[in-house]
Amino acid sequence: MFSVIDLIEASAKNLSRSKTRTFLTLLGIIIGVSAIVSLISIGGGLTSAVEAQVQRLGSDTIFVIPGAATFGMFKTTITTSDISNMENTSGVMDVVPIYSTSAVMEYEKEKSTISISAVESSKASIFDNVGFFELGEGRRIAANESGAVMIGDRIAHPTFEKEIVLRKQVKINGEDYKVVGILKPANTSFGGGPNSGNMVMMSYEGFKRIANDATPGIVFVKTTSKESVEGAADDIQAYFDDKYGEDSVLVSSSESILGQVNQLLGLITVFVVGIGAISMLVGGIGITNSMVTSVLERTKEIGILKAIGASNELVLSMFMLEAGFIGMVGGIIGIVIGYAFALIVSFAGNASGFALGAAINPQITFGALAFSMLVGMGAGFYPALRAARMDPVNALRYE
Amino acid sequence: MAKENAIIQLENVSKIYGMGEEKVIALDKVNFSVRRNEYLSIMGPSGSGKTTLLDILSTMMKPTSGNVYIEGVNTTKMTNGDLASFRGMKIGFVFQTFHLLPRLTALENVMTPMWINGMPRKEREIRAKELLQSVGLKDRMTHKPNELSGGQKQRVSIARALAMDPPLIVADEPTGNLDTNSGQNVMEILDKLHKQEKRTVILVTHDKNVGKRAEQQIFIRDGRVEDEKKVGKIM
Repeated sequence: MFSVIDLIEASAKNLSRSKTRTFLTLLGIIIGVSAIVSLISIGGGLTSAVEAQVQRLGSDTIFVIPGAATFGMFKTTITTSDISNMENTSGVMDVVPIYSTSAVMEYEKEKSTISISAVESSKASIFDNVGFFELGEGRRIAANESGAVMIGDRIAHPTFEKEIVLRKQVKINGEDYKVVGILKPANTSFGGGPNSGNMVMMSYEGFKRIANDATPGIVFVKTTSKESVEGAADDIQAYFDDKYGEDSVLVSSSESILGQVNQLLGLITVFVVGIGAISMLVGGIGITNSMVTSVLERTKEIGILKAIGASNELVLSMFMLEAGFIGMVGGIIGIVIGYAFALIVSFAGNASGFALGAAINPQITFGALAFSMLVGMGAGFYPALRAARMDPVNALRYE
Repeated sequence: MAKENAIIQLENVSKIYGMGEEKVIALDKVNFSVRRNEYLSIMGPSGSGKTTLLDILSTMMKPTSGNVYIEGVNTTKMTNGDLASFRGMKIGFVFQTFHLLPRLTALENVMTPMWINGMPRKEREIRAKELLQSVGLKDRMTHKPNELSGGQKQRVSIARALAMDPPLIVADEPTGNLDTNSGQNVMEILDKLHKQEKRTVILVTHDKNVGKRAEQQIFIRDGRVEDEKKVGKIM
């Protein structure tokens, strides 16, 4: 019996002699594999980023976002009576409205429009719980401290060319505030929400100095337990639907957000994997085509091999292995390109403040490799069979 | 039944090409046998059926009817796959147009039959080198066929034919594409295979001068073996 290693070597040699054709044949597989690998890798990173965020938010939190369901087109105003109504909903432990507005900040004669978030001092701990930020240097804003701000690291610099450091005075909409804390560089942002690096935070008391008629941009509702989330969310949603009309206010729990994200991701995955599969199919047909040509070109060689003792099985394995090789090499290149693309997306995501880890998953890597090899061998079966069944006498005298 | 001591025996072998009215009878009930250690030439004009005879006795092609025994084994009953391996072990081929693998070096070409039969790399390399040396191509081992002269190519193909140490060498017009000198040289090597190494050598040729070198000759015309007397003597 012939040895497998010899066979592999022979196949590799045969492929390397028609490099251009081999490369062109590889393309279909490369595109298919890289599409699948990059998507699964990005998707995995996305899911775990969202999951981590949801975990930090806690599964006992409900988000109430006015106007979110209409993408902010019709902004509903949440009033103090709405807040007290939410507080009285059964299963609700605490309601934390977060106020936000945009304002002009001035430092060393430089001006920039920034967005400000504020929460009542007594409820400031919510920020810690949801993990929006971590304090880098300085301290938190004390209760009822109306002249202090914490700024995100990106506000300190590069938003302001001259870096803002601790204990400096800044003017916001003309009012004086002292920088008491600077946040750690942020790497997360939730669902496209504000990135803490670009945030300016103050107490509600401080916020009222510049925005008197402030209404909350988002309301966090803490429930007494994880089990009461669903009921409370339904009650609050019903209340807002009744008062302002359906879709005026979005009421959502971390679980349901996670569910929605996963659902969306699943859809995208099916779509891209579908494209990848079609590409693999086309790539496979390309391999078949290329192998048919190759078999025809090598008719005489096949005849010689058969004359000097090569069995049909040997010829079959030789050509199938060659096709499998094309698949495998395409798979390797596709995996590398796929991961490279995923890494680029992940870097781009991180640069804009979205923590997206593109995980290199050994299961996907081997799976993709095995799959592309199988596609190659499957595609090579028909031409290999043609080669194997050639009549030695006719093949030998083929011109 | 297979004859004892016959390396090849053809029994009522016929080959008919085409079907219906277009039938061409290439071989018509041919009977003969070749003893071990014989040096035989099969001669005949083109179209006589000698190529078909060669294809059949070398097991490359199966007859339409009749039996071909090699070392007593009825090859017409074997599957194509088994036949290929059997052929690889029993018969060494030398072709008119050499039929070397163009991308491989002389050494690799000689190693190919051993590769097919799964001989370890080291072993087959040593053997291939010895074989090339024995046909006087010690300095041409790493050359590819297109870097070799016709005579050198034919000597590579003889070395390849000997790779599996087969008892039978079949040479099809071995000097047909060679100049007189190279042809002479190749014939000397073939003579030696018979005389010194005691192999059975079958030459197929239309060239009387080449055919004459064999100890026995048979002539074929219109698909039949001619000159029954001579053949009778062989049998």
